[in-house]
Amino acid sequence: MTPTSSTRPIDPMLEIRSLQKSYGQLNVLNGVDLKVAPREVLVIIGPSGSGKSTLLRCINHLEEPTGGQIYLEGELINDTGRSRKDFEKHINHIRCQVGMVFQQFNLFPHMTVLENVMEAPLLVLKKDKTTVRDNALELLGKVGLSDKTSAYPSMLSGGQQQRVAIARALAMEPKVMLFDEVTSALDPELVGDVLRVMEDLARDGMTMLVVTHEMGFAEKVGDRVIFMADGVVVEDASPQAMFSNPQERRTRQFLKEVLK
Amino acid sequence: MLDWTIIVHYFPFLVSGALLTLQISVLSLILGLAFGLTAALCKLAANPLLRWPAVFYIWLIRSTPLLVQLFIIYFGFPQIGIDLGPFMSGVLGLALNVGAYNAETIRGGIISVPKGQTEAARSLGMSGAQAMRRIILPQALRIIIPPLGNNFVILIKDTSLVSTITVVELTLTAQRLIGSTYKPFEMYVMAAVLYAVLTSAASMLLVWVERRTRKEARA
Ligand SMILES: Nc1ncnc2c1ncn2[C@@H]1O[C@H](COP(=O)(O)OP(=O)(O)O)[C@@H](O)[C@H]1O
Ligand SMILES: [Mg+2]
Repeated sequence: MTPTSSTRPIDPMLEIRSLQKSYGQLNVLNGVDLKVAPREVLVIIGPSGSGKSTLLRCINHLEEPTGGQIYLEGELINDTGRSRKDFEKHINHIRCQVGMVFQQFNLFPHMTVLENVMEAPLLVLKKDKTTVRDNALELLGKVGLSDKTSAYPSMLSGGQQQRVAIARALAMEPKVMLFDEVTSALDPELVGDVLRVMEDLARDGMTMLVVTHEMGFAEKVGDRVIFMADGVVVEDASPQAMFSNPQERRTRQFLKEVLK
Repeated sequence: MLDWTIIVHYFPFLVSGALLTLQISVLSLILGLAFGLTAALCKLAANPLLRWPAVFYIWLIRSTPLLVQLFIIYFGFPQIGIDLGPFMSGVLGLALNVGAYNAETIRGGIISVPKGQTEAARSLGMSGAQAMRRIILPQALRIIIPPLGNNFVILIKDTSLVSTITVVELTLTAQRLIGSTYKPFEMYVMAAVLYAVLTSAASMLLVWVERRTRKEARA
């Protein structure tokens, strides 16, 4: 580090500049600008089709942005200047630092719960097996599934599967976690357990981007809420301001719909 | 008059023919699996330099008769300086043939694994190859194994065609014995019985493998 860097304000964990994504004629993201500070919990709300998933998927490059820049701790993620092979390595390295949890869990059905959590640290990070195992067991304890380590995903409830998926992502010790409507596929009575795990994670200081329709969670756990529509950030505010005093007409309209 | 006692005398010859048939089958099976997996992965690749040769290979094999393929390799290749001899020509021809069918079977299995599996694997930092090997292929295997096994049973029966390029396997053994005994009915029926033994054993093995993979990979 250079001496001057310590005098600068804290750099954002994640910085997004005029991000664009289109599929042919369809513009899904129309210039999104966003900064997420370390330890911040950013909640993303907005109607279906507004580009929330696409935004998250651009961050870990499951989708390739058509314009703009995304930086993780100052490192350009969508760095098109690299050679193809170099880019592959770079992206895999980025993905190790960015955990993602999906609406549909996507656990590996041919592996036990413990194997699901251990697979990537062993295979990708080439960590020592006992370390990985101890860490996996600890994480499964944290998400309340110590008794399910040798079960297969098909034997678990949706809520349990989703908590395994969170533990699996955490096993890579990511700097940022992306949650894409992780409770939307769950029976209502199972939602609470998953949200509690996410709340614990937020309290432990994880930087999180959370796409959700759970406005209670957004208000309680979120540090900041953004409202997206038609591929742009329409409003960006604290949870209190967003829910009690939204500035934009479209935000008010949306909140009226979902809170009714 | 039918004379089955003659079988007792010539049975060992037929069995040694059957053993060569088995050997050819197993070799072509292993090679055919390698060809099939390679062609399947190439056909799924984004790179057209990989994809188009695979598409061409699969199309070529599936749109021409096996017998002609064997003739090209055994009779034709020596003309361009590749003389493999009857045995290797037979194994290569059969392996290339079953490989093309395996490729379509394997490709079908791979694309039937939900896209979310690849995305989950890649989001954890796995390379495309790691995701394929550890996440996609093990799941595809469950779907692939029954039709793949069917391809192998067909392969065992197809080995009889290499008798036409002078490989003395079960069919050609029977033909030669007929030349000296003039007992075509007895000899061919015995050959058929031995083929049935081989294919049935393969089917039983297949059921066993299927059960094992189902136990390992419950979804
Ligand atoms: N692979 C794709 N090809 C074409 N259109 C897509 C693709 N993925 C998403 N879209 C479109 O992009 C828009 C935004 O999708 P998405 O980011 O999933 O929205 P949200 O998560 O906010 O509901 C939708 O109109 C969707 O149909
Ligand atoms: Mg979505």
